[in-house]
Amino acid sequence: MKRRTFIQGLAALGVVGSLPLPLSRALAANIANPVSVDDLPKLKGELTLYLGRGEGGLYENVLQAIQKRNPDFKLGIRRGPTAALANTIVAEAKAGVKRADIFWAVDSGAIGLVTDAGLAQKIPTDLSEQLQPQFRYKEWAPVTGRIRTLPYNTSRLTKDQIPTSIMEIADSDLSIGWAPAYASFQSFVTAMRILEGDDKTAKWLKKVQKRSKTYAGELGVVMGVERGEVDIGFANHYYTLRLKSGKPDAKLDLAFTQNDAGCLVNASGVLALNDDPLATNFMRYLLSKEVQGYLATEAYEIPLINNISQPDGLPSLANISPPKIDLTQLADLRPTIDLMRNNGVL
Amino acid sequence: MNLLFKPAKSLGASLLLASAFMAQPVLANGPIGEHVNHLQANLKSYAEEVEWMVGKVDTMVSDYDKKGVKAVKTDDLIEYWESVKFHSAIETNYVPVYASIWQGIYGVKMAIENGKPAAEVRKEQEAMNIALWQGLGAVKLAAKFQQKGLLESVKATATEEMTQSATIDEIKHKLDRVVAKFAERLQDEATDIVHDTYLHLFEGVEGTLIEQDANLVEVLEKDFNVTLPQAIKNGKSVDDVRNVVSDMQTKLDRAKTLIEKAEKSRKDVF
Repeated sequence: MKRRTFIQGLAALGVVGSLPLPLSRALAANIANPVSVDDLPKLKGELTLYLGRGEGGLYENVLQAIQKRNPDFKLGIRRGPTAALANTIVAEAKAGVKRADIFWAVDSGAIGLVTDAGLAQKIPTDLSEQLQPQFRYKEWAPVTGRIRTLPYNTSRLTKDQIPTSIMEIADSDLSIGWAPAYASFQSFVTAMRILEGDDKTAKWLKKVQKRSKTYAGELGVVMGVERGEVDIGFANHYYTLRLKSGKPDAKLDLAFTQNDAGCLVNASGVLALNDDPLATNFMRYLLSKEVQGYLATEAYEIPLINNISQPDGLPSLANISPPKIDLTQLADLRPTIDLMRNNGVL
Repeated sequence: MNLLFKPAKSLGASLLLASAFMAQPVLANGPIGEHVNHLQANLKSYAEEVEWMVGKVDTMVSDYDKKGVKAVKTDDLIEYWESVKFHSAIETNYVPVYASIWQGIYGVKMAIENGKPAAEVRKEQEAMNIALWQGLGAVKLAAKFQQKGLLESVKATATEEMTQSATIDEIKHKLDRVVAKFAERLQDEATDIVHDTYLHLFEGVEGTLIEQDANLVEVLEKDFNVTLPQAIKNGKSVDDVRNVVSDMQTKLDRAKTLIEKAEKSRKDVF
């Protein structure tokens, strides 16, 4: 089922009114045109950014470019693993200390930790309206997306041999590569818990484990698929695109499930921790068409605003059917870890 | 033991050392004193500590030679080393020699505990002494860099910009620490560093790298996830683990060249 069909179907069933507020409001909303940095206010003053380590130096390149463009703007940056920084922000707030003005996290689960603590400022409507409707939230702005995918070995399978339901994959005879210790995989399992419940998720994990080969990371998964060690893998979309970029004859392609955790679109995100307009204006730069285009072409990340040109092979949000889920719920990682440990997956 | 002195060959090797001496946020066994940010002022006491350590070990080996294994407490070797400030001065400034010192200490300790002839123990002692003096030389050189403002202060958190090529340097430094912790007989800690370096640092650059050389990434993936962890787990010698790390560092040098090339050709954000 395509996403548009999915949304129309929801409307027909009267489900839209019961969606989380940001999503239900968003479905009826228009998408504002992307904004160029040429139309943004100049940044003047100082901010402290807590930056979760992400796409190597590419986020750094974005931050350098923003500072270069705004010579009267000084950005202090504290870097670290995203989850650790989220915990630090919460701990600092409890201690009555606020060191960070902005938090740019590589995954929405860490964002959820901070929003759940009531520390994030409300996002201005004009800013959130630039985003695709399903990515509008009250207190944070997704910056770019990444899609859960099924990389598969094209010399062993054709796309139509792969189930379009993530739950059915557990009952297939396909050999599978996975990286259970990997944060993106754990966010995907969290999404499955939320959508399917703990019992079904536990059964799914046990079944998949019997036919799976474990890798340390998801690039390893994708390389294992390409070498033919397994038929398919569970991985974010960009690993496959990058491997194919470096190895154009790689026997590799992407398949997608539909309307389930298997094609979850997770996102990096940014939030403001104080009501300084400078913080909000800084966030506008991250959603500018130039930054969105840069991260799409250089990091293969999915732009979440309209009309951004994308490199060949980058999946379009219009052509996949991600599940309906509040991404900040992915912060609830502890029950996922427990479930995976209790079932011998970790 | 021939590789014990390998790091030292680079000691006199020019300003290339500057990058090797860049102090990184590290955790020693025990607190790192503020003295590591004032190396020049502490050189005299570091030298005295090395003299003291060399003397204490010599006394222990002499006692072993004359009175046998029951006359000595080999655990004291570890205590001597952990009690000196020089320990964290070298650990924060030149990890390869730090690893060699631990290797030397355990060389003496194990030779005594295994009842080796005194002549063999003396060989291990000599190797340890050389590593200690090399360490003092490294700290003296680091003090000069520090005086010129070329050495960063030791910090508890990573606040500096981390470009992809700088990330490769950090990965190489972490691998040196793997050898150090392995030489220190802290296998779990060494394995944790390998795992964390892969997940938090190498993962951040391999996306760019795989676009440049997919085969190189494949080999490094295997090194991080199989070859090095297995060398640690299977109780190989310090030299064997160091060889694996050296081989990885050579590959990482190539990775850095490729990444710098990719960074240069990357389009501007605005």
